Amino acid sequence: MSSSRNKSLARATHPAWTPWFFLAPFLAITAIFVVWPLGGSLVLSFQQTFGPEATKVVGWDNFKFLLRDPLFWKAVRNTTLYATGSVLLQLPLALLLALALNHPRLRGRTLFRLLFFLPSLVGLIFAGVVFSLVLETRTGLLNHSLHALIPAFDPEFPWLSRYPMAALLLSALWLYVGFNMIYFLAALQSVPRDLLEAASIDGASAWQRFRHVILPEITPVTHFVVLLSLVGSFQMFELSWVLFNNTTGPNDGGLTIVMYLYRTGFIVGDLGYASAVGWVLALLLISFSWLQRRLRVRSAEGGVA
Amino acid sequence: MWVIVGLALVSSALIVAWPPAPREGSPFWIYNDVHRTTYEPFIAAWNRRHPDKAVDLILLHQTALERRLLSGFLSGTPVADLVELERAQAARAFAGPLSQVGFHDLTDRVHEEGLYDRINAPTWTPWISRGRVFGIPHDMNPVLLAYRADIIEAAGIDLPAQVETWDDFYRVLRPLMQDLDGDGRHDRFLLNGSTNNELFLEIILRQAGGRFFDDEERLCFNDPVNARTLAHITTWLTGPRRMCTDAPEYSAAGHKMRLDGTVLCAVIPDWMTGQWKRELPGLSGKLKLMPVPAFTRGGRRTSVYGGSMIGVTKTAPDFEAAWDFANALYMSPESAEVLYRGTGIVSPVKELWSLPIYHQPDPYFCGQPAGALFIAQAPDIPLRTASSYERIAIERLLTVATLLVAYADREQKFTVDELVPEAQRLLDIEHAAIDAQMKRNVFLQE
Amino acid sequence: MNRAQLWLPVLYVLLAVFAVIMVAPFAWMICASLKNKADFFDALFLPGGNGFLGVAWDRLTLEHYQRLFAEHGVHRTLVNSIFLSSVISVLATLFTAMAGYALSKFEFRAREILTWFVLAMLVIPAPLLLAPGYQLLHQLDLLDSYWGLVLPAAAPAFGVFLFRQSILNSVHGELLEAARIDGAGEIRIFFRLVLPLVRPMAGAFLMITFLGVWNNFVTPQVVLQTPELFPLAVMINNLRGLYGTDYGLLMSGTFVSIAPVMCLFLLLQKEFIQGLTSGAVKG
Repeated sequence: MSSSRNKSLARATHPAWTPWFFLAPFLAITAIFVVWPLGGSLVLSFQQTFGPEATKVVGWDNFKFLLRDPLFWKAVRNTTLYATGSVLLQLPLALLLALALNHPRLRGRTLFRLLFFLPSLVGLIFAGVVFSLVLETRTGLLNHSLHALIPAFDPEFPWLSRYPMAALLLSALWLYVGFNMIYFLAALQSVPRDLLEAASIDGASAWQRFRHVILPEITPVTHFVVLLSLVGSFQMFELSWVLFNNTTGPNDGGLTIVMYLYRTGFIVGDLGYASAVGWVLALLLISFSWLQRRLRVRSAEGGVA
Repeated sequence: MWVIVGLALVSSALIVAWPPAPREGSPFWIYNDVHRTTYEPFIAAWNRRHPDKAVDLILLHQTALERRLLSGFLSGTPVADLVELERAQAARAFAGPLSQVGFHDLTDRVHEEGLYDRINAPTWTPWISRGRVFGIPHDMNPVLLAYRADIIEAAGIDLPAQVETWDDFYRVLRPLMQDLDGDGRHDRFLLNGSTNNELFLEIILRQAGGRFFDDEERLCFNDPVNARTLAHITTWLTGPRRMCTDAPEYSAAGHKMRLDGTVLCAVIPDWMTGQWKRELPGLSGKLKLMPVPAFTRGGRRTSVYGGSMIGVTKTAPDFEAAWDFANALYMSPESAEVLYRGTGIVSPVKELWSLPIYHQPDPYFCGQPAGALFIAQAPDIPLRTASSYERIAIERLLTVATLLVAYADREQKFTVDELVPEAQRLLDIEHAAIDAQMKRNVFLQE
Repeated sequence: MNRAQLWLPVLYVLLAVFAVIMVAPFAWMICASLKNKADFFDALFLPGGNGFLGVAWDRLTLEHYQRLFAEHGVHRTLVNSIFLSSVISVLATLFTAMAGYALSKFEFRAREILTWFVLAMLVIPAPLLLAPGYQLLHQLDLLDSYWGLVLPAAAPAFGVFLFRQSILNSVHGELLEAARIDGAGEIRIFFRLVLPLVRPMAGAFLMITFLGVWNNFVTPQVVLQTPELFPLAVMINNLRGLYGTDYGLLMSGTFVSIAPVMCLFLLLQKEFIQGLTSGAVKG
């Protein structure tokens, strides 16, 4: 916070419109292409529409039906499971890999970095196609490899037909762990050297150094990555859709909230209902991030805001 | 970083200097790349002969087509003049009030011009909503059983002669279900099917007389015939009389299983033959076709799956030109031949059934006249409806099938009679769910 | 120090295992793009035979790549993709840096509200905007044009968030004041002073946005109607048909799609990591 003297100086030396000038493109684009359609979708969510002449205002009906639909809750369960599973699986692994890559004596860091980042470069279609083959029951590579390593492992383990969530989590792991690793790597590299040296001079072991120096330093990044992962995972649709070949998965096990939206909005054709689903999802995500910020501000001093 | 900026500038310059050629002709949207290759020559010839009725073929991805149609019909965004739709997508067009359907009502036209009688009667049904016709059918999609003649005949079995029902099928082919590598598991199965396989489930269900909607488009998801058929299917998928395994239809893994002979037979519609010829040239000369084994003696020996139609949208500026083109494309012998050669699809137009190409020996199927075999099943093709909730019904069917198989495994119940009550119970639950969706639709009540 | 050295081989093994897992699908893809139809199902990677290392090199084929260029006009789609990705990422970086600057280094009443607004925008699910957005584009006559894709994507809230953090951490108020006292104009200050200080972050964001647009097919496939305008991602998605996938084509298409971005990443790796390190993510 600048002192009052600086404040008056700042005000005196730049015209009041300056911030607005710099905000202008962002505000204009967001207002036109985000806020306006958002309003449109809000209006839609209170309607049922099958055509310009066939639109009726149904009030809260869409929301009421939504909250009573067991399929919607199944989608919420699946999506929550997927999101939390992703975070719990990927982040420790990403951190582990980043720690490994950060080792001062390691050679070939650039190569490893590139290789781990490669999966992020592909589109979701490729990932879905590849994993639907890798996870296939009889001929899939995963079953072959696991059986070769662990003879007791069932060589016809039905990933896709019995354990859709596991299949999704595995595919997501392959796709995103590299990206998250890069974030952690960046964070690790910005941990002040002197702190670490001081700690090792004091006789701290590697684990103690990790726990008391590194971990606190990378906490903000961790929060950021967790939020990013959660928000992204909650909106997952294409991966599941491609993996289960345009269906909701065995016993709707691959049904996510956005898939539910797509199915009701575009398969049944009721855009009003689809908008209602979208709004419920948006509210869910907004409350998430609000909660997360609350927790963060409370745990760290001098937070972002 | 300046690399990207540089790229931006260079590519912008290229884009500006290289604009796409303006497109002429009535837009005609299709979703299927194979149709594209078969239509292009026909359209080129058509455009040459009728420059005033020129047609511009545009291939869209299925999802894009759906979204554009939806948006077009709902908000008036531009839609093509002619659209070729698959069953799954067409359903969306028939949601809402009859007056709001985005396609022209062709009912009077097809009856006046005698078109209705020229096409196989059951084939019109998926495109008739509340009694009005909205599209010309592209195909019939009859279903036959394809079997590995090389393996089956080598075992001394003459399948068409010995098998009339599914019970015969199991009895006769059971010895071929073998464990070839001694690991305690079967490596050869009789039929391709699983609870994830929409094609399989729908085909068998309809063959048995099951259906989702009755002739008035009322929901009959929990029809007892459906329950009984599902119970039958469950005994094929699990338990001591299991004979099916999952060779996914459109995937490399499934293809490998077909090549290896891991599955001996499959129920396939006519378009699948085209796909197999393209993707599985290694099976040529090893397969034969026969009517699907019936559920009871004298029962139906075919089924149906999929289908496309062509419709003229209400926003088309020149209905007559579009109509002429649609007629020509679907009714002409030339395009029927090209279609059959490219995709294996047999035309639904009765007078074209005598085309020599359908009766030629097909080397892929050991010299059998594949087209003729499919055509022979035409009159028995099950009726369907154009209800916009069919997609939802199929989705729920998959869930019921999965749950039923899990129940069978859990309770160790593997006979049809034992499973029917549970099948009925599961169907009732989903019936209520679909019904709730339909009741929510305020326009359907009108 | 010896302890650390002991760990080294273990780390190498761990990293190698994961590297293989990450890369295996790519190896498979490249092999798949070079195999002909008949061989596709035979071997996992390369068809066996009498050649060097037991591989039938003579049966490998470039036909899929040829078809891509001849039948599907891949060269045009490549240019389209490069155009869309580079233009959008450059504009996005510029606009969001400007907005981030405004929200971090200026005091004005609406600042708090606007910051919350930006955060709220971060979590809006895209499908919600799809249908009304499409209609809006139609009303603005932006359908089936590049503008319809570039404009809506030119100022993502995510960028504003990142730049705000980055500028808060890297740019000190005193610098700005000093510049103003020296009589420099506001625009000059932004371009000559602020931007260079957050250059790494800008590089990272450019890369992320470029990648995001490059692989996005959902919006372009709906907005664009003319096939000549399609970017690579849409074209590849079209290869995955309703009834069956031509794996050879799909894999070669995927390779063509990945190769440029991989080169880009190789070139910009250092900057990318630097950008993320530069305190933007520190919070």
